[in-house]
Amino acid sequence: MADQSIAGAAGVMATASEGDRSGRARIVILFLCVGLVLVVLLSLTSGASDASAVSVVSDWLLGAAPGNEALNARDRLIVYDIRLPRVILGVLIGAALAVSGAVMQGLFRNPLADPGLIGVSAGSSLGAVAVIVLGATVLAPFTAALGTLALPLAAFCGGLATTLVLYQVATRQGRTSVATMLLAGIALAALAMALTGILIFMADDRQLRDLTFWQLGSLAGATWQKIGSVGPIIVLALAAMPFLARGLNALALGEATAGHLGIPVQRLKYTAIVGVSAAVGASVAVSGGIGFVGIVVPHLLRLAIGPDNRYLLPASALLGACLLLLADAVARTIVAPAELPIGIVTAIAGAPFFLWILLRKRGVVDL
Amino acid sequence: MIEARDVSVAIGGKRIVTNVDFDMRPGEIAAIVGPNGSGKTTFLRALSGDLAYSGQIAINGRDLAVMKPVEAATVRAVLPQATTLSFPFTVREIVRLGLVGGRSGVLPGEDERLPERALARVDLDGFAGRFYQELSGGEQQRVQLARVLCQVWAPVLDGKPRYLFLDEPVSSLDIKHQLIIMNIARDFARRGGGVVAILHDLNLTAMYADRIFVMHRGRLAATGSPQDVLSDDLIEKVFDCRLKVGALPPGNMPFVLPQSAA
Repeated sequence: MADQSIAGAAGVMATASEGDRSGRARIVILFLCVGLVLVVLLSLTSGASDASAVSVVSDWLLGAAPGNEALNARDRLIVYDIRLPRVILGVLIGAALAVSGAVMQGLFRNPLADPGLIGVSAGSSLGAVAVIVLGATVLAPFTAALGTLALPLAAFCGGLATTLVLYQVATRQGRTSVATMLLAGIALAALAMALTGILIFMADDRQLRDLTFWQLGSLAGATWQKIGSVGPIIVLALAAMPFLARGLNALALGEATAGHLGIPVQRLKYTAIVGVSAAVGASVAVSGGIGFVGIVVPHLLRLAIGPDNRYLLPASALLGACLLLLADAVARTIVAPAELPIGIVTAIAGAPFFLWILLRKRGVVDL
Repeated sequence: MIEARDVSVAIGGKRIVTNVDFDMRPGEIAAIVGPNGSGKTTFLRALSGDLAYSGQIAINGRDLAVMKPVEAATVRAVLPQATTLSFPFTVREIVRLGLVGGRSGVLPGEDERLPERALARVDLDGFAGRFYQELSGGEQQRVQLARVLCQVWAPVLDGKPRYLFLDEPVSSLDIKHQLIIMNIARDFARRGGGVVAILHDLNLTAMYADRIFVMHRGRLAATGSPQDVLSDDLIEKVFDCRLKVGALPPGNMPFVLPQSAA
């Protein structure tokens, strides 16, 4: 088979057996690690300042050692205080969105489940907009008590509520109906957007401008402070996901069979829902709605390494980070010196891809 | 040892299984037979821990109701009637899922070779690299059985017997593979494990079962050895059709010959 010859050529699978794609998955993950390093360097060095990759790396390695003139003060400011936070945020959010998509698909047992498509992101947006608009008035005690955590936490609650309702509606006796899931997602997203609309109606001019740009999705305005408030949430949620991998694999055979195999299914489901809500909520809180990463990335990877979540989840994190940084690079440069909201870039690239998945799956997926 | 006392199961307010007593010892194949809708699968699901039930179920002396999923996965493996799969896994990846939660019982490090060995036992040598969804129904059923075998590869673990719960394991198999699968079940029982199987083929049941439980309208209609249970009267009454039961030497193994429908 083709996959055996590829893996065999790499010389890693001396003892591998037919049908075992784990060796190949490890190679892909290795490539993605290298790829991510390259993309990070590219992102740090592309833009209006002409700091080269070599100078950035040597500045990293040598620091501010005497005689090290690789980066001048202006470039250092641009690289460390503008580009680096943005790159780190891009990596975190790309990984969070892609892994959330993969986990959601495992949970709903369907390759079309995506936080953006089924209304989870809309729920998170509602939470975030509520804090932005009402933070100084109705929700003042909440925002005062939580400080910078108020926004991500509200987004988390919005996403969590949506996911729980969705799961209750779409799942009956352990079987999730895809049609119900997508339709319920549309209804919930519409409701969340309507409520968001009411809040926007109440917003003042300054809030309005912030909201509009934020809703389109953007990594602009990334600061170390934002990373401080949502970074830990995303890192924590991502760190919990690998523990779900084996359970999600078993879940592919159905809830009853997963239980027979020794998986605590209820705990698995609720951990997955809370983890996804946290990761998506935190992402939405800082960057707005960035769509399609969660559906495109796991789908591409399943074609390459198969659906085993032990490899799919880490690979999704890496590829999600890479693709989001590349999308951000496009967003920053295509209309320079202005910049396009990144959500527009991911939607323009992702929506046709989604249609392509539908075309391929037509007749295979029971919709 | 599996002991079920006075087990009743209701689904959505409707009582499906009523006051069933069920006992089996390791070393046995216990067959559950009965017409469609008689509660066989529901009872097996209660025994598997899938459904709430009233009454008592104990496996190896442990109350099923207090077992955690991983403990239950260590003492029994379940082959459901039908399995749907949501992602394109290879056959090997499916079979390997048998090792995900429980303990196969082989030496550490040998687990990775179990999928191939299990596939060979169900006559699917060379299928490891195929995609599950591209197989025929009968082949898929055998892949699932190979997965189940991986989960409880050793019929006895830590001195305690383990069990296979099989819901219609041969329903979509040709005659050769029916016999292969039933021989696997018999071998599992001979080596100290226990097998509970829902079967429709009464002749296969007579050949392989040590004990038969006949279910009828959610209740236990009869239980005992094939010779005791398979009688014209009982079978005609339970299955509501005309059947002739004969006996074949050696050992007077009963056989059931259907007549035209009543």
